[in-house]
Amino acid sequence: MRIPLGWLRDYVDLDLSPEALAERLTLLGFEVKGLERWGSEWRNVVVGELLTVEKHPRADRLSLTSVHVGAAEPLQIVCGATNIAPGQRVPVALPGAVLPGNRAIERTEKMGVVSNGMLCSGDELRLSVDGEGILILPAGTPLGTALTDLYGDWVLDVDVKPNRGDALCLVGLAREVAAVTGSVARFPEITLREDGPPIGEVLAVGVEDPELCHRFVGRRVSAVRVGPSPEQVQRRLLAAGMRPVSNVVDATNYVMLELGKPTHAFDAGAVARDARGRAALVVRTARPGERLETLDHVERALSPETLLIADENGPLAIAGVMGGAASEVGESTADVIIESAVFDPVSVRRTAFRYALRSEASLRFEKGQESRLAWIGADRVTELIATWAGGSVAAGRIDTAPDEPVPARVGYRPARVDLLLGTRLGPDAQAALLARVGIATEPAPDGSGVVIAAGATPRSVAVAPGEARDAVVPPWRRDLLVEADIAEEVIRIAGYETVTGKTPDTAMPHVRPNPLELRDALRRALAGAGLTEVVTPALVPGSAAATLGWPVLAADGVPGEAAVDGLVVTVTNPLSERHAVLRRGLVGSLLDVLALNERHGRGDVAIFEVGKGYAQAPDGTPAEWWRLAFLVTGSAATPAWNVPARTYDLDDAKGIVDLLARVLAIPDPAWVSHLDGAPLHPGRAARAVAPGTLAGLIGELHPSVLAAWDLRAERVLVAELAISGLSAGQLVPVRVASVGRFQPCERDLALVVPEPLAAADLAATLRAAGGDTLRQVALFDIYRGAPLAAGEKSLAWRVVFAADERALTDDEVDADVARLVSAVASAHGARLRT
Amino acid sequence: MDLATLTSQLRALGEEALPKIAAAPDLAALDELDVAYLGRKGGALSGLMRGIGQLPAEDRPRVGVAVNEVREAVEGALASARQRTSQAALAARLAAEAMDVTTPGRPIARGSLHPIQETISRIAEIFGQFGFVTYEGPEVESDATNFQMLNIPPDHPARDLWDTMYVDIDGGLLRTHTSPGQIRVMHAEKPPIRALLPGRCFRYEAVDASHASEFFQVEGLMVDEGTSLADLRGLLDEFAHAMFGAGRATRFRPGYYPFTEPSVAFDVGCLVCGGTGCPACGRTGWMTILGAGMVHPVVLQHGGIDPERYQGFAFGMGVERIAMLRHGIGDVRVFLDNDLRFLEQFR
Ligand SMILES: [Zn+2]
Repeated sequence: MRIPLGWLRDYVDLDLSPEALAERLTLLGFEVKGLERWGSEWRNVVVGELLTVEKHPRADRLSLTSVHVGAAEPLQIVCGATNIAPGQRVPVALPGAVLPGNRAIERTEKMGVVSNGMLCSGDELRLSVDGEGILILPAGTPLGTALTDLYGDWVLDVDVKPNRGDALCLVGLAREVAAVTGSVARFPEITLREDGPPIGEVLAVGVEDPELCHRFVGRRVSAVRVGPSPEQVQRRLLAAGMRPVSNVVDATNYVMLELGKPTHAFDAGAVARDARGRAALVVRTARPGERLETLDHVERALSPETLLIADENGPLAIAGVMGGAASEVGESTADVIIESAVFDPVSVRRTAFRYALRSEASLRFEKGQESRLAWIGADRVTELIATWAGGSVAAGRIDTAPDEPVPARVGYRPARVDLLLGTRLGPDAQAALLARVGIATEPAPDGSGVVIAAGATPRSVAVAPGEARDAVVPPWRRDLLVEADIAEEVIRIAGYETVTGKTPDTAMPHVRPNPLELRDALRRALAGAGLTEVVTPALVPGSAAATLGWPVLAADGVPGEAAVDGLVVTVTNPLSERHAVLRRGLVGSLLDVLALNERHGRGDVAIFEVGKGYAQAPDGTPAEWWRLAFLVTGSAATPAWNVPARTYDLDDAKGIVDLLARVLAIPDPAWVSHLDGAPLHPGRAARAVAPGTLAGLIGELHPSVLAAWDLRAERVLVAELAISGLSAGQLVPVRVASVGRFQPCERDLALVVPEPLAAADLAATLRAAGGDTLRQVALFDIYRGAPLAAGEKSLAWRVVFAADERALTDDEVDADVARLVSAVASAHGARLRT
Repeated sequence: MDLATLTSQLRALGEEALPKIAAAPDLAALDELDVAYLGRKGGALSGLMRGIGQLPAEDRPRVGVAVNEVREAVEGALASARQRTSQAALAARLAAEAMDVTTPGRPIARGSLHPIQETISRIAEIFGQFGFVTYEGPEVESDATNFQMLNIPPDHPARDLWDTMYVDIDGGLLRTHTSPGQIRVMHAEKPPIRALLPGRCFRYEAVDASHASEFFQVEGLMVDEGTSLADLRGLLDEFAHAMFGAGRATRFRPGYYPFTEPSVAFDVGCLVCGGTGCPACGRTGWMTILGAGMVHPVVLQHGGIDPERYQGFAFGMGVERIAMLRHGIGDVRVFLDNDLRFLEQFR
């Protein structure tokens, strides 16, 4: 809320600088988000007196004026307005002035005559909304004074939290200022001359739905003259961020900003009369089929929950939200009905949302209204209308619920307040602090409990006699309901800075496993291997999943990390089509990162992400699961003069997975040829399988995907992996095997096999035939070509034999090797390459 | 052959051999000289020694002494010459192997960890020193868990603080904060509770330099008998000092959240100007880094904890905000853009 300090001073004495006030309010819970010197654009606009006004020699519609601005020589200024005459005091923008809207004023020549500046209208200065003529200043306005000094003001932009609707106004903030400065806030004094007929003769109000309209106060002013508000009022409204409209409408806005009380003025001429000739209003919900053209000239179909102000002909206004066009106060309005009501906050909030009509008024109604303000607001608006627009005020007011509610009492235990705050204030100091914001305290009657929780799950606790006190809550405060609220009020007034911090010294909780431990270990291993971690949006275009066609990896073989291959979770109110559904996998996001970096000229990209996939389970509940994905393309080593160039290929990608396996302390995963179901090169795709621990899909992206993503890269390796413990797991401690005292025996076997035989299958046969001394089977070469026949390849293996307790003899190892050779010969037709 | 002749021949051999050894250019030449003079079969010294047998027996010991003198002289000369030439050879090899040491080293590829994740790790590490343990919660929550359990009933005006994205699951929404995790932890654990909840959040918020529709938060929760606002203040001070430097000023002021009472806003002295006031801090000298407060009794109840016996505090901070202040980042959008020119600066 924008608070002009000059206006605030009407309600509280201030001897603080604007900066100091801003800090005090911030420390009181009313954060000052901005401190603006309103009117700084008027620095080179000064008060001048018109000496002469003559016709421009060459332009009929222009005047040639000479203006005295306090300097020795009068200024010659050309002006197009017609409301000027010698002797008037007017605002003069001097050359060099920059008016609102960045309008620079310079010395110019207009139709052959030099103009040394400009005479300004109120609108040009944003001092009022009158753009018709030059702003005529009061006769005594000091010559030569800058308008900044006359009308400029400091404006605080105060963040009033939703629980403090009472402070969403000048009087409310004046109360808070008074609480910290020790001064006293002043309510505006209202003086009404009620010279009209008794209100009961000219206005009738019926409330059909008192649940939604708790109180309705009506007044009536006759024979008003609708016109502009006094200029000071216009200036205040503009400084506070509201546009002046007319004296009647401005009176309602002025009171809303001043007291926080939204009111509405109806043109009484548009309201139907009852049999006794009274304007007759009724507050009721909408009937089927009813429509209303609101002030913004939109015709709205009204839903039955909508609370209306109506007459017998139909709706006049949406209660608490917006008036109707037909009963709008305009230039021809003679009689005005003032509505000052208390509506149900929830009803107003829902209605404002329903019609997308959230206004300054509805915002205040939503936060709840002090009942008393209904009549005070009505009286204040009536007074201001009578003062600014004249007219005759009907005697008395209609008031549908004149009994004021009993002040609420909130019990609190001073000892508990200190316990919650970690302070040692004691009952008396607490009471003194509360008194500064108008909260009286007294001993709670014996037998009364203390309410510690309110709302849907209230809780009251019994207290010992003398343990509790009652806080008597001022009627404007709606945020003080339970003991903890009183504690906050105590420390808010004392100042949060008076809380002396200490490190917690109570019992520590039991150690819990860190759910990020395994994830972090994998992330660090990948970064160490040259991959850069990315974090990408979880919301992706609705079409992305379909375009990429990456399968959801159910990962049933990896306990605890299963995914759901269900419907995507779709945002029903997306910010954009680019962020419309929750992703089911990470690979598409990595492609987006590649695309972005390619646009920056980066072809070498090695990235990974640990993130979630999301879908709807068959029972309609949301499912979330963790996956690790990576993408590598371009140069496999940092390009440098001393590094041979090499690009990433499938083996690099597999090596990255093997690295993860080492972090997980599991054997290298098996690779199973993957034939279809993923957007991958059909001959360069594999499933990684480490039963119970890791499962995933890895491969080179299909060229059609690269084209669809508009990527320049030729070969892009991607993988998405489910890993046991990625969601919340810990590292498994390494179990050490005996190193062995005896030297192992290494033998190399080059086996010639048919081309289609998978290396993994041959290795499996070797391992199975190896016996218990076989320690290792490792592929170290693949050879094709002469003297091998076409369709043959040679796979060379290093096999290692060892025993824990003795040295192996050559004869033993020879026998083992012979067994291996014969096993692969019979299983695969393999022969030794000699 | 007589004694005198043999003796003079021995002397002559020594006089011939020593200069040749001294002049030998390399090990190979020394080896040749070694064989030529001292070789067992065809060596010159062996040849002379064959004449010893013709001498009278009484002369033989004297000749033996002379032979040994010459042998030792030649052997000594050979040994020192060998040492000399091998040192020279080594020196020559090393000289030949000289590199331009000013060339850059061979790069070892190293990736980087994302600043969001690393900031979360840093936050967890700091609070971990005070016994705070990490938990995680789901990102698709419901109106009940994201709002109602946190003392934000339907149609509450405070809902304006969280612009929400809803999903096509009955009652489902994308969590607007990590605070629903408070309830989950309270249900899973008994006091004493010290929990940290990092994670991704979503808001229906137009994206600009300081607003993101997807962002990360870290929530903290501590519940025990007598846990007070003073504990919160002390802990947050420790955090601010660990994260932004030991001398960093801090400020504790009122905030507002429906799920805490009293509510707190926590500021640190401006990281740009140090507190004198600048555009970055709105000329206040302070920057807000997190919101906090004492857990509202209603929220404790929803977590199954007796608010009459226990009290506690919660805090929540934007990870990007902390990372931006820590690393001097001016635009929140860089985090999810993943421009490698940005990310690789964290290597
Ligand atoms: Zn600063």
